[in-house]
Amino acid sequence: MTAPGKHSPPPPSRSRLAPTRTRTLTVIAQDPSVTLRGQPVTAQVEVPAEALGPGPCGYRVHVIDYDATADVLYPAWTPATGADADNGDPFAGASPKAAIDDPRFHQQNVYALVMRTLARFEQALGRRVSWGFYGHQLKVAPHAFAEANAFYTQRDQALLFGYFPGESGDMVYSCLSHDVVVHETTHALVDGLRGRYTDPSSPDQAAFHEGFADVVALLSVFSLREVVRALVDRRPGDEPRGAERRRRGADTLVRREDITPERLRESVLLGLAQQMGQELSRVRGQPLRRSAALRPSPAHLAATEYEVPHRRGEVLVAAMMDAFVSVWSARLQTLGDQEPGRLSRDRVAEEGADIADALLTMSIRALDYAPPVHIEFGDFLSALLTADHEIRPDDSRFRLRRHLLSSFAAYGIQPASRGGGAEKGLWAPPHAELVYERSHFESMSRSRDEVFRFVWENRAALGLYEGAYSRVLSVRPCHRVGPDGFVLREVVAECVQILTVQARELRELGVRAPRGMDPETEVRLEGGMTLVFDEYGRLKFNVQNAIDDAARQSRRLQALWDFGHFRKGASHPRRFAAIHRARALGLSRQVREEW
Amino acid sequence: MPAKSERRQPTALTLRTYRVGFGDCFLLTFHYPDEARHVLIDCGTVAFPRSHTAKGRPPMLRVVEDIRDQCGGKLHAVIVTHRHRDHLSGFKPRKDGRGPGDILKACDPDVVLQPWTEDPALAAGAAAPGSPRTPGSHQTARAFTRALSDMHRVAAAALAETKRMRADVQKNIRQQLEFLGEDNLRNDAAVRNLMTMGRRHVYAHAGSDAGLARVLPGVTVHVLGPPTLEQAGDLHRARAVDQAEFWHLQALSSAPSTRRPRALFKGALDLRTHAAPPQVRWFIPRVRNLRGESLLDLVRVLDGAMNNTSLVLLFEVGGKKLLFPGDAQIESWEYALRRAENREEVKRLLADVHVYKVGHHGSLNATPKSLWRLFRHRSPARGAGRLISLLSTLPGKHGRKERGTEVPREALLKELERHSELVSTHALRGRTLRHHLIIPL
Repeated sequence: MTAPGKHSPPPPSRSRLAPTRTRTLTVIAQDPSVTLRGQPVTAQVEVPAEALGPGPCGYRVHVIDYDATADVLYPAWTPATGADADNGDPFAGASPKAAIDDPRFHQQNVYALVMRTLARFEQALGRRVSWGFYGHQLKVAPHAFAEANAFYTQRDQALLFGYFPGESGDMVYSCLSHDVVVHETTHALVDGLRGRYTDPSSPDQAAFHEGFADVVALLSVFSLREVVRALVDRRPGDEPRGAERRRRGADTLVRREDITPERLRESVLLGLAQQMGQELSRVRGQPLRRSAALRPSPAHLAATEYEVPHRRGEVLVAAMMDAFVSVWSARLQTLGDQEPGRLSRDRVAEEGADIADALLTMSIRALDYAPPVHIEFGDFLSALLTADHEIRPDDSRFRLRRHLLSSFAAYGIQPASRGGGAEKGLWAPPHAELVYERSHFESMSRSRDEVFRFVWENRAALGLYEGAYSRVLSVRPCHRVGPDGFVLREVVAECVQILTVQARELRELGVRAPRGMDPETEVRLEGGMTLVFDEYGRLKFNVQNAIDDAARQSRRLQALWDFGHFRKGASHPRRFAAIHRARALGLSRQVREEW
Repeated sequence: MPAKSERRQPTALTLRTYRVGFGDCFLLTFHYPDEARHVLIDCGTVAFPRSHTAKGRPPMLRVVEDIRDQCGGKLHAVIVTHRHRDHLSGFKPRKDGRGPGDILKACDPDVVLQPWTEDPALAAGAAAPGSPRTPGSHQTARAFTRALSDMHRVAAAALAETKRMRADVQKNIRQQLEFLGEDNLRNDAAVRNLMTMGRRHVYAHAGSDAGLARVLPGVTVHVLGPPTLEQAGDLHRARAVDQAEFWHLQALSSAPSTRRPRALFKGALDLRTHAAPPQVRWFIPRVRNLRGESLLDLVRVLDGAMNNTSLVLLFEVGGKKLLFPGDAQIESWEYALRRAENREEVKRLLADVHVYKVGHHGSLNATPKSLWRLFRHRSPARGAGRLISLLSTLPGKHGRKERGTEVPREALLKELERHSELVSTHALRGRTLRHHLIIPL
């Protein structure tokens, strides 16, 4: 604990000649139940270097170790002094078991994983990414309460992680689970990038936050080569002894029969699902186990069981994991044998981690090509494909886009793009003539007013609904680096529209009011467009969910009606806490039956 | 369905609805040509109306003494729909042997009927894998009953934590937590008293025999719920196991349940005795309030799960049908209406219900709209044969109007008033103890 207001500034003795850009910190690789020689597996991760205060408290994250159940503050992590102030790792070389008994390691673990996830988003998007609240520092409480839950709360600008004793009596800390921390951080980041995605909308939108957070968390784990290498030819329950493995050459080689999509699904997806701490499934649910077990079928999304957000999100995760194993298996088939019928284990792991990393980058970038409101899974698929095509037009190495299309189709998800793009499923460029002369691109890359001027001048061509309240929410210049080293410069702007009408007025807009809705009910319609400009200031894409898209609005209203949104007090300020609990308990609500 | 006894038929039924505030208590008297037989359905409350608590004898004693007087000191059957305090607090005995539970025990019921989840052979820690009476997979069923037991511990811990909480938790959250927490406590004394009273104990599930044929000749009692885990199917079984594990972990996290937990690590700064450093003061009240909200959400979930263990009974007598669903919520009705093998027959029976005890004191999801629409005797026109609804409730105790969760739910209340003959205990005035209804058969 430090004295009030005395966050120590970096000591003056440090060298200022060559400040380091990154700091390496020790973290738990997956969760403490994944062990090697009886010790939890740790990893070293790189995070942006900064002069940290006690907590750690940095420029984007402030760890405050308050425990509301015990009503205590735990001793805070303190930075090293002297030359190591900006890049020291107090737990380098420490015994993992000893580290787990030290709250300061828990604080370091959450700090490092949140910052790493933030840095991963910033790297993929090519710009700084803000949180979804007015403030720069996300508060993180690693031991917030005694409960099997962890969640993000925008209202309180915080990530809260619970703890609980496991069956063995040892305490289970959700803040030490890599995928749980990344999942919650992703909620906070998506909220910053697309703040309207927590608004009441379609079942897809409600499910998207949860499914997307799982996708990012799982791909983050699979992009660690060490994890993939250890899992690649395991069978469930299979743990060959070291000597036996070495005799068979299993440590360095993988048999061809083990790299089919089915075998990879069983070894890597289910293998990791088995290794993940089972007790933590009370916090995270079982996204990997369920998605690996969910067989492809276009019928899932229409089933009642998949109407609730936490179940529907599983379909998105399943489609993405299916694409991951399909791409990987196809890629491995093209590689030459190390020995007859056997491939190099390192090469197999490297390809898998690279593909996971590429899919992770695509997924994060897709947010920039997604509509600002009312996202549906088909929108996300078109955004994914377009994001990838823009920076990596040549898809011949992994054929990622082809596999994504086919995996998503197998789960009933078709791209929202109606054609006209460079490839199937991509967003089409705008066809209408646009007026650029009355706006200045240099200014447009910074000013929401300048972007709105462009939008207003081109309102007819862009499909802006004139009668609605309109606002440019954000303007974000991006510099994305492609695999060939070239930089793609874009400016991404979000414009939203809001129109409040009474239910009886919906008919004039061609929108169908749900049966039983009082004609006097106030209905808020939202629409919006994401505008992507190229480096010359020309509009490349207008990704739009128009406010007067009658079919979509009718669908959305019906879903909201069915899920009780129009009931008084239906908003839930602890949305993610409730979803996570429902997920752990397998709960569903049948609002249609309520009064 | 049990076979109907043709030997003797009741000629009338007296239905007493006791005014117990937020709770349920019904005394049914079946009048036979030569005698009367009495059935008590639930006896509990978490809050009496103010008019009852002002002065004089404890209100539950007055209620129970009246039951004793009405039945002439002999109950033929006692039915306790589920384990919540608002349904069984009246069964609590006193050390001096003069408590309400002692009086009811002295009425010597022939049969005590409870849901299958109350079967002591299934209790957590029991050596036997389950009694032969218990249907379904013993292991899963035991996991489920263990979950129910864990829920009580979680409720106790939540209640204790609520009481330790400071002003940082909003008042209405604290009040709701206290209300729901107390309703979900174990009620050990009442449960033990129930276990030792009566000559025969029946633990029923959907479709099973209620065991009342001998004590109520000419009356058919259909058990529509709760379903066993086997009946509810694979999905529900898996969910029950998930829930069992979830509540077990929650229960562990609150052990030792009611004491203030110790800090996880050494060197912690105790905020009861020390001020928090200024740089974190903004955050701490927020986490405390969030904790309160989170506990409330948790307790709501366990409250619903416990409600869904309610017995759902349909009495068929002299061409009349009376439905007593306890506090069963939509999840339990989901089985009866959509999954049960005999669902068509169940729907046919429900369509002909003449008297409906409104589920869960009129909450928003215990009278599913699909159930309500089935009742063909509901009608806007007054007159003989119109559906009678019995509502035992106390407004302002549970839920919040601004969130649309108030109990009784206003929209449901309007519908009951419009389309049925509504008997609400809340409408009774002064120190009136009960409503009295005679149904000729």
